[in-house]
Amino acid sequence: MGREDLYMNIIEKLKYLSETVAVAGFEKDAAEKVADLFKGYSAHVEVDRFFNVRCLKKGTDEKAKKLMITAHLDEIGFLVRSIDDKGFIGIVNVGGIDSKILLAQEVVIHGKQNITGIIGATPPHLLKAEDAGKALKISDLYVDTGYGGEELKKLVSVGDTVSFKSKVSVMNDSKASGKAFDNRASVVCLLEILEILKDFNHENDIIFVASTQEETSMVGVKTASYALLPDAAIVIDTCHGDIPDLSKDCSSTPGKGPEISIGPNLHPGMVNKMFELGKEYSIPCQKMVEAGDTGTEAWATQVSRTGIPTALLSVPVRYMHTAVETVSIEDIKYTARLAAEFAKISSIQLEKLA
Amino acid sequence: MQDILRKVTQAFGVSGNEEEIRKVITSEIEKYVDEIKIDAMGNLIAVKKGKSSAKSGGAFPGRKIMLAAHMDEIGVIATFIDEKGFIRFSNLGGVSAFNSLAQRVRFKNGTIGCINAEEQLEDYKNLKLEKMYIDIGCKSREEAEKLVRIGDAANFTGDFYVNGDRMISKAMDDRSGCAVLIEVIKAQPKTDNEVYYVFTTQEEVGLRGAKTAAFGIMPDCAIAVDVTFSGDTPQCRSREVKLGAGPAIKVKDSAYIAHPQIRRELEELAGSNNIPYTLELLDRGGSDPGAIQAAGAGVPCGGVSIPCRYTHSPAEMVSMEDLKNCVKLVELFIKK
Repeated sequence: MGREDLYMNIIEKLKYLSETVAVAGFEKDAAEKVADLFKGYSAHVEVDRFFNVRCLKKGTDEKAKKLMITAHLDEIGFLVRSIDDKGFIGIVNVGGIDSKILLAQEVVIHGKQNITGIIGATPPHLLKAEDAGKALKISDLYVDTGYGGEELKKLVSVGDTVSFKSKVSVMNDSKASGKAFDNRASVVCLLEILEILKDFNHENDIIFVASTQEETSMVGVKTASYALLPDAAIVIDTCHGDIPDLSKDCSSTPGKGPEISIGPNLHPGMVNKMFELGKEYSIPCQKMVEAGDTGTEAWATQVSRTGIPTALLSVPVRYMHTAVETVSIEDIKYTARLAAEFAKISSIQLEKLA
Repeated sequence: MQDILRKVTQAFGVSGNEEEIRKVITSEIEKYVDEIKIDAMGNLIAVKKGKSSAKSGGAFPGRKIMLAAHMDEIGVIATFIDEKGFIRFSNLGGVSAFNSLAQRVRFKNGTIGCINAEEQLEDYKNLKLEKMYIDIGCKSREEAEKLVRIGDAANFTGDFYVNGDRMISKAMDDRSGCAVLIEVIKAQPKTDNEVYYVFTTQEEVGLRGAKTAAFGIMPDCAIAVDVTFSGDTPQCRSREVKLGAGPAIKVKDSAYIAHPQIRRELEELAGSNNIPYTLELLDRGGSDPGAIQAAGAGVPCGGVSIPCRYTHSPAEMVSMEDLKNCVKLVELFIKK
């Protein structure tokens, strides 16, 4: 990998990672790509048996505390469920997908080779009046690849992964839209944190984990946090950006910095420190109250082994779990800066907090 | 194998009440294994030590493999007995109200009852278990309480029949998986690997037994043998899995995604040994590896599934040919 690749700016990193495919449970290739990017910053990079990518950046203190920073690298997608004689492919979703967004979408089937397909829709002329405007179930949708059944069965088999076909678009120079920003935007944050800490002598050992299967069983972060046994953890994920039909209680404004979550899932000492650091370094951030399960890896991390104090930073993303997830580039920068400032605190400070 | 299947399917063992089925399985396998343990969750763990572990003085080159089949079955539990002796009940595991209507249940002490619904129900489309009751033929609460106390569990009755290659019984889910493991144990496959045959408890109420069993064993990998929906009945969803088409190698269910490497190994073994197989994607229902995979620092898991029609009903149907092929495939896997 050339040196200039390592200095890709945020949008380029986001493009590169977003257009990489890592349907939950099938992350091996993507994990190797992420590992290559991490290797630009540390010699201690490994991919474990669940394809979690772990990257250790050693601290200067011999009795260093261990801080784990995670962002999941998997994405929602589909698996091939059936192939009929005419070549229509039935699919099943991996992770939460609303079937409304699927009609007339382009997808890629990852068989022996990558094959473009479209999810067909009944023409409006032929729709019965009572069916117009109604959503279909995913089990009623079929992918058409242009191949006939016999030919297709040589290239694709049941169980192959299917992903959204979506290129990243840059909007108004400051925002980007594409697939899998949940949670590649946060994987970009991990790379940015590494960039910020590149020449900084931090006391604590910082372990970066790009984890797997968050969209299904969270097995990636469950097993990684058990194996690594950190003293504290920061989880970076995406949250909902505000749109006209969402209330303020469950959404944040893109461009105004990461959401810092407050609630029983998060450690109060760490959360307060995040707000303090935001103020001290003028990094904008937003507050989100979570009464219970945050729906993120923080929920699984907190109760690993004897318990791990955990904080959650979230990047606002509009249109979550679609092929047009939209993020503000500023928010990625702010999130990375805030997490990096936290990573710089001394072992004693971290011990007192957590 | 048919006799074993008859014995294990007909035994009592609703989730949380697995004593009887555990005894039946223990008596079948105790001669063939090195050690039998029962853990705090009631899991039956049979160990077949690694072949070269004794010779090489503890140095142990093989893998530690966990094979899991759950021995619990779905059923009902008595929640209230009214003054006329009718018993209200709740479900243990996924019990459908429609499948329960007009069925017979058997409590652990042998008491038989029949299930029916309140007569004035207007909307049978929305039939719910809370509108149903068990009648054990008693005239009063006092009389009923001599036979059944609240908290007592009952299973559905469903006799064992053979029609050629096909067999019908209650609790094929997952006693047919238990029968497969028992056959593998009896075949005494030669292997360097240390094999843990685990008959798990409380799978039907949330994969609970498998969770603690896996943590206690911490295997290098695990395979679960459980049943899966078949796609060969009238107007059903299109699925590759069919009765008689061989074991279904798990791709995913709602609790886990099979580890790609384990799935590949199973596919290769089946392919190179002429064992027919299909691939399984189950969108409704989970199985033990959902809990096993997240034990400790993680366990790569896969599944060898038995195609089964009418799962979670008192008349579940499987194919003997499929069971035999499951035994072959599991044996090949542990020999690797």
